[in-house]
Amino acid sequence: MALRENFSGEGILICFNGPFTHSIIEEIGNAVKRYLEGETGGRGSVMDVFAVYIEQTQNVRNYIARQKIQGNGRNSAIVVISSKDSAYIVSSGNVIRKEDVGELAAHLEEINGQDKDGLKRMYKETLRRERKSEDLGAGLGLIDMARRSQSKLEYSFKEMDDSYSFFTLEVAVARGTEP
Amino acid sequence: MKIIEATSSSPRIEYGEAGLSIKGESYPENSFVFYAPVFEWLAAELKSAPRFRLILDVSYMNSSSTKCVLDILDLLSEAAMRGCDARVTWLYEAENERSLDLAEEFKEDIDIPFEIIPVEAGPR
Repeated sequence: MALRENFSGEGILICFNGPFTHSIIEEIGNAVKRYLEGETGGRGSVMDVFAVYIEQTQNVRNYIARQKIQGNGRNSAIVVISSKDSAYIVSSGNVIRKEDVGELAAHLEEINGQDKDGLKRMYKETLRRERKSEDLGAGLGLIDMARRSQSKLEYSFKEMDDSYSFFTLEVAVARGTEP
Repeated sequence: MKIIEATSSSPRIEYGEAGLSIKGESYPENSFVFYAPVFEWLAAELKSAPRFRLILDVSYMNSSSTKCVLDILDLLSEAAMRGCDARVTWLYEAENERSLDLAEEFKEDIDIPFEIIPVEAGPR
């Protein structure tokens, strides 16, 4: 009962806490898509929530794999999708190396400083950039999330110890009005 | 004709006889690895193909797949400059406006014939 009240009070639709594998990302994503297709809100917002979820979880999984984040449950991450008033909120949390905080924060600030056209320009410039062979992604994920959100990307870094911080990211996607 | 069967996170791909079609959803575990065989085949095929048709029928693609598709379009543009009659057809479900937006952004960036066609929703 208490668990249900907690989840309902927060509007939580789905919450996963553990190591992200491709099959877990895929399973949860399919469940979310099927659930949202039954809700009113329009095809566009279903696609946006799904896309933000995919970019967030694949970013986290790629980062943890590339930086070999392991030990003490550090490869475990969180993703939560909740529904609040007129928006869906897709949030994630994961451990990051302290030396990566500065660059990530600067990238997030650059994104949050752009308007719609600025984001489109940034997306296209990044799309045109040469990919390094060791890259797992194209560096487009956060820009793509911002383009699908009507709000700024909300984020925080909490210091865990001398080597690691915990990064959280919240992306709001407006619920459409179409049937 | 070569075929890569679809999975729940990767599209069905058919290629051969001066054409390539990509159909389904595209967010594989590693897009660059997934599309590698297509690039390898395409680079060889486009050296001599007098015409080439690309059909894209992808309801969702993640950002790294978007990068791969842009790279495919660039290869086609280069072939067109060498005289290949390269054309793109983008199919999207009429109610999937995000797919239309993406098609229009691709179209802005390349200069080969690029047709965008809405189709009825549902299994095809």
